[in-house]
Amino acid sequence: MGEEEPRIGVYVCHCGLNIAGVVDVEKVAREAAKLPNVVVSKDYRYMCADPGQEMIKEDIKKYNLTRVVVASCSPRMHEPTFRRCVESAGLNPFLFEMANIREHCSWCHPHYPEDATEKAIDLVKMAVAKARYLSPLEVIKVPVTRAALVIGGGVAGIHAALDLADMGFKVYLVERSPSIGGRMAQLDKTFPTLDCSICILGPKMVDVANHPNIELITYAEVKRVEGYIGNFRVTVVKKPRYVLESECNGCGECVKVCPVEVPNEFDENLGPRKAIYVPFPQAIPMVYTIDMDACIECYNCVEACKEQGREAIDFDMKEEEIHLEVGTIIVATGYDLYDPSRVRAYGYGLYDNVFTAIELERMINAAGPTQGHVIRFSDRRTPRSLAFITCVGSRDVKTNIYCSGFCCMYTLKNAILLKEHYPEMQIYVLFMDLRAPFKGYEEFYRRAREEGIIFLRGRPTELYEDPKTKNLIISMENLSTGEPMDLEVEMVVLSNAAVPAAGTEELSRILTVSRDASGFFMEAHPKLRPIDSPTDGVFFCGAAQGPKDIPYSVAQGSAAASRAARIMARGEWEIEPIVAYVDPERCRNTKTKCGICATKCPYGAITVEEGKAAVVNTAKCHGCGTCAADCPANAITQMHFTDAQIIAQIHAALEEKPEEKIIGFLCNWCSYGAADLAGTSRMEYPPNIRIIRVMCSGRLDRDFILEAFRKGAGMVLASGCRFGDCHYISGNYNAERRLKPLFKMLPRFGISPERFRLEWFSAAEAGFFTNLVKEMVETLKRLGPERIREENEKARPFLDRMLKHIGG
Amino acid sequence: MRSEMVERESLVEVGNLDHRFPDRILRQPGGEALRACFQCGLCTASCPISLIDSRYSPRRVIKRILLGMRDQVLRDRFIWLCSACFLCQERCPQDVRPPEVMTVLKNMAVKEGILPQGIARMMEVFKRTGRLYPIDDFTAEEREELGLPHLEEEQEAVKRLLEE
Repeated sequence: MGEEEPRIGVYVCHCGLNIAGVVDVEKVAREAAKLPNVVVSKDYRYMCADPGQEMIKEDIKKYNLTRVVVASCSPRMHEPTFRRCVESAGLNPFLFEMANIREHCSWCHPHYPEDATEKAIDLVKMAVAKARYLSPLEVIKVPVTRAALVIGGGVAGIHAALDLADMGFKVYLVERSPSIGGRMAQLDKTFPTLDCSICILGPKMVDVANHPNIELITYAEVKRVEGYIGNFRVTVVKKPRYVLESECNGCGECVKVCPVEVPNEFDENLGPRKAIYVPFPQAIPMVYTIDMDACIECYNCVEACKEQGREAIDFDMKEEEIHLEVGTIIVATGYDLYDPSRVRAYGYGLYDNVFTAIELERMINAAGPTQGHVIRFSDRRTPRSLAFITCVGSRDVKTNIYCSGFCCMYTLKNAILLKEHYPEMQIYVLFMDLRAPFKGYEEFYRRAREEGIIFLRGRPTELYEDPKTKNLIISMENLSTGEPMDLEVEMVVLSNAAVPAAGTEELSRILTVSRDASGFFMEAHPKLRPIDSPTDGVFFCGAAQGPKDIPYSVAQGSAAASRAARIMARGEWEIEPIVAYVDPERCRNTKTKCGICATKCPYGAITVEEGKAAVVNTAKCHGCGTCAADCPANAITQMHFTDAQIIAQIHAALEEKPEEKIIGFLCNWCSYGAADLAGTSRMEYPPNIRIIRVMCSGRLDRDFILEAFRKGAGMVLASGCRFGDCHYISGNYNAERRLKPLFKMLPRFGISPERFRLEWFSAAEAGFFTNLVKEMVETLKRLGPERIREENEKARPFLDRMLKHIGG
Repeated sequence: MRSEMVERESLVEVGNLDHRFPDRILRQPGGEALRACFQCGLCTASCPISLIDSRYSPRRVIKRILLGMRDQVLRDRFIWLCSACFLCQERCPQDVRPPEVMTVLKNMAVKEGILPQGIARMMEVFKRTGRLYPIDDFTAEEREELGLPHLEEEQEAVKRLLEE
């Protein structure tokens, strides 16, 4: 604590009725006024609005406040707002603290207003307790490299790259396959205008190839990302294509002489390609690639190339590592299509004449494997009747619960295209709900009806093949008449859902960003930060974040470019000074060989020299706090999450009826996010939990858990991200190693081990969190306050001895 | 009086509906996911009973529950005709579990005394003999010929069970 006693102002927000509708905010403000060091305490309708902020600014001057506590929403929402507010009144922004009485209180306990008010008072008490120990911190400014990495060269990535390049930034566009273009390049036409897909995408792809600011790296994957906002170091592995990009002019003579034919992935394996190939005629770069799995090394291509006066083919080409330095990263990795052979009832892969939509798309494309003819596999003739089945692999709890969004529209497009090609064809669309909400889409649906396409509501239960005719008989309930129906058609096309692209999980680990419950990348805030990832300097666009159609993906590509430019245009960026600091007086490395902190730091930010105290390189430190928790001499402090601050929070939470309470330590990125999501989703759970936010579970010192029990806590929860998802690489592994032994230690003190829970869940798992709290409260009730008090009494002498250094 | 204006069978008077009915079913094991139903009709399309007679439809039973049409639902013969083949349950995209809902409804219907005559008979026989089918002379003789032991009526045991 500073030399002077802190002067604290407390502001309790009504948030309209969001908080005040449940919590007695006036009572909270009255109770807060009684807390030590609180000189002023008020409640107000909207603290984040201008008059609310003005009130804080005036009070800082009027009452000479040295600390400000706002009790309102999640700090993940408005902490930056209020920090700016106190800063503009001359107070250091780190002398501000927030109590989350909306997401963690009013929104989850609407039916227990009294308990919720009591909890809100506790949360304010905890924030005030922490505020007493806050100290001013100076923000750290880091330089920003004025270059961006765009991962994925589909329509979203292409637009992000072009926009940034046009703004004058260097862009590295990394694409996994031999050509950019993505899914859109595969499509025949686009809805609702029926523009030719490649005709509108092709020129953009050429722009990418010709742009002086874009460096295109195809047939390559991002393998490693280190560093932080403004200063990412990226390792890209470029696969050998065995053709020199600088030499190949795309003449295609090599293809003519190649004797090997294999299925072409670009045509969904419906047609062949050679072992040396470009995926499609408009490929960018127009450079051939040799598929070594198929090549028989006859070297005919080498000869053919020589005849053209070139030596572009190089069989000795090796995998190559490329190192890039960039300031920002845009993820535009798109989507894959659900494999419908997993829904066995629809017979894909079993019956000849069941196709997927993208297969139809390739067939109907004039440049496709059947030159624009839609044919049955069984007899190579055009079907006279055809049915589309929608929602394959979506809107089903057994496959994917979400609506894939654009399938209704591409089904309409495919149906209309077929009608144009084959006016006599009987076309049925079997659907549950038809979703056509955007500009021109509903009109497109009307057009489909007017053209004679028949829409039948109902989800087919199964289809089977007539063994003679190879026609397909679809069983469904015709919901318009309420009668079961068996519809016989000559061909079936499954409109399958978009699913996260292969490699999404791996990339999420490389970038330490989370994925949502469906496996797509998860944005920092669903409403207000839809483009940002939770990791500063990393952005998402297009279907990588969830299924999207072309206009939406293009808009997001441009949005991601603008979000990235916002950082790079400044040339420098401020990062939070919540870094670690080693007290050289206490560091035991001066006397004995220690260096534990350096081995635990996931970023190599701590230097330890023999005989000298350890030193933290603040620019490298990400502020997870793992070192602070692991230091055997308690010599390391994590700024803004100090031992004193956290212990003050524990003490404040447990002042009254401690045996009824659960102290929950939640990490900022995952478990705290899940608790916030539980609030925004209005999931209800009992109000017994008191949440303490840390940046990472790696910060959780064993002492924190023991201290909570010493102060009489009923139960303790320590939690963080799922393994592999930690935003600080390995914080949760360290936390588990450190905290797991407690399950053996606690019973030795007389504390039931079930009173401590160690759980890992993602920010998307609000339901998991809600159930966890319910379960813990069940345990709490089963054990009963008597037994808990008894156990705590028994443990106290042991704990007092172990926690002597904490005092209190 | 609107109801007098529209004197048709199709009239659903919201005031006469039992709005708590769905919640009563939701609380029973098997009924939990009832409200997730989005009426896609996959259950009816899978149903061997609906296939024989389209007057019977699990989808319609679920919708009527959700509307609170308690009497129609408990009197719907489908709840007794459901063969519990579980095909709809296997395939339902929202995991609504119609056969388990039918079990809940059967229990409710019995408690309210609404049950088909045949089922009522079976219950009587069960109460009396401890078996769902009575052992008549023909069966008894058949058993004797096959060398199977003679079966006694087990009133006492059943009585004890039912009392519990």
